[in-house]
Amino acid sequence: MSDTLKQSLDLSMFWEYRAILLQGLIFNALVFLCSASVALSVGLGAALLRVNRFWPMRWIGTLHVEVFRNAPDYIMLVWVHFVLPLLIGLLIRRRVEFHPFVSAVIALGLVYSGYFAEAFRAGIQAIPQGNLDAARAFGMSERMILWRITLPQVVRRMLPEALNLFISMFKATTIVSLIAVPDLMYNVSMVIQQEMRPLPLYTGAALTYFLIIFALSSGVRHFSERWRRKIMA
Amino acid sequence: MSDVPSIRIAGIHKSFGPLEVLRGVSFDVHRGSVVSVIGASGSGKSTLLRCVNYLEAPNAGEIYIDGEPLGTRVDARGQSRPRSLGEINTMRRELGVVFQQFNLWPHMTVLGNVIEAPIRVRKVSRKEAVEYGEECLRRVKLLDKADEYPARLSGGQQQRAAIARALAMRPKAMLFDEATSSLDPELTDEVLGVMRELASDGTTMIVVTHEMNFAHEVSDRVIFLHQGLIEEEGSAANLFGAPKSERLRQFLSKYRK
Repeated sequence: MSDTLKQSLDLSMFWEYRAILLQGLIFNALVFLCSASVALSVGLGAALLRVNRFWPMRWIGTLHVEVFRNAPDYIMLVWVHFVLPLLIGLLIRRRVEFHPFVSAVIALGLVYSGYFAEAFRAGIQAIPQGNLDAARAFGMSERMILWRITLPQVVRRMLPEALNLFISMFKATTIVSLIAVPDLMYNVSMVIQQEMRPLPLYTGAALTYFLIIFALSSGVRHFSERWRRKIMA
Repeated sequence: MSDVPSIRIAGIHKSFGPLEVLRGVSFDVHRGSVVSVIGASGSGKSTLLRCVNYLEAPNAGEIYIDGEPLGTRVDARGQSRPRSLGEINTMRRELGVVFQQFNLWPHMTVLGNVIEAPIRVRKVSRKEAVEYGEECLRRVKLLDKADEYPARLSGGQQQRAAIARALAMRPKAMLFDEATSSLDPELTDEVLGVMRELASDGTTMIVVTHEMNFAHEVSDRVIFLHQGLIEEEGSAANLFGAPKSERLRQFLSKYRK
C-alpha cells in the first residue's frame, strides 16, 4: 500500500484535533437549526400565499418559490453575503455588513424556504375539503382551523419529504466555510494549513458527516413513520 | 310550545354561476320536531342544508335560529347589515352538522374529535368536555372506541362518532346531510338506529335523506324538493300515503320497486 493511501486512512490526526473540530461541528448544527427555522416559517408563509384566494397573493407566493428554488445554494450565499449588504446600504445610506453566520442563515433559509413552501402547499391541498367544512360548521375560526386541523395533518403528510430536505440542508451547511463561518470544514482547512496533511483530515470530515447524517436520518425516519402510520388509513 | 321556530328558512336562493340550485325555499322547523328533505339527486337538498349553516352563503333569503337572523344583524340605527365571519361562527355553532362523508379529523382520536370544538369554540374546561363527550359517545354506543383513530373504524362507527361530535356541542338542532348514503346497507341500520333514538328524545332535526322508510317513520314533516323549489310538503303520512303531485308519485315509485 502506498504511503499516501496509508496516510489518508490514518485518522489519528483527526482525533488529535477533535476539540477544535467539534467546535466547528457545533457551528454546523447552529447554522442548520437557525436556517431550518427560517426555511420552515418563510416556507409556510409562502405556501399560505400560494393557496390564497386572491391571485396577487398567489402570484407573490409563486414568485418566491420559483426564485429561491432555482437559486444554487452557493450563489445565494455569496450574493447574500456580498451583494445584499451593498443594496441595503444604498437604500439606507449607511455602510452595512452581515456577520458571516447571519448571511449563512439567510441564504440557506431562503433557498430551502422555496422547497418547504412546495411541501407545505402539497400537504395543504391534499386535505379533504370536508375536514375543513366540519371545522367551519362548528364555528371554528380560520386561524384555529389552520393550527388545529390543517397543519397537524400537513406536517404528517409532508414528513418524509421534509426529512429529505433537512438532510440536504444539513449537507449544505458545509459550504458556509466559504464565507468564513468557522464550521467543521473551515476548521479542517485551518488545521490543514498548519499540518500540511489534507488527506486524513478530509477523510475524517467526510466520515463524520456521513455517520451523523446516517444516524440521525434513520432514527428520525423510524420514529416518524410509526407516528404517521397511526392516522393514515 | 313557543311560536318562534327553532329554525326558519326564509326564501333561500342559491346559484353557482349560471346554475340556479335553490329558487326560493321556505319552511319552519319547530323545537323538538324532525323535518326530512327528500328529492332526486340535484334537486338542491344538500345545498339547502349547507345554506342553513352558511357553509354556502345564500344569494337571497335568510336563515333564522330562534328568531335571530344568521347572516345579517340589525345595527344601532335599525339597518340590517351582513354579519362578520366571526359572528356567523358564533351563530352556526348552535347547529350540529353530520356529513355524508363523516369528515372526522384523522389526526385526532374519536374522543379528541368529540371534545375539540367544545374546548376550542365553546371554551368549556377539558374535564367537562371529556365527561360530556363520553356521555355523547355512550349515546351512540361507541364509548369503547374513544381512544381509537378514525382510520381504524368502520364507516358506520365513523358516522356514529361524527354524530357524537356534533352532539357534544349541545346544538339547538342537528342537520343530517345524507348521513347514510356512503355506507354499506348493513352499516346503514346502526346509524339510522342512533338517529331514530335522537328523534324520539326530542332532538330538533333536519334530515336530508334517501331512506324513505326512515323518513316516513320519524318525520313530523316531509319536504319534497324538485329543481330547487318545494314541490310538495306535509306530514309523513300524507306525503307518503297520498302524494298529490305527479312528480312526487314518480319519485316515490322508484323507491317502492
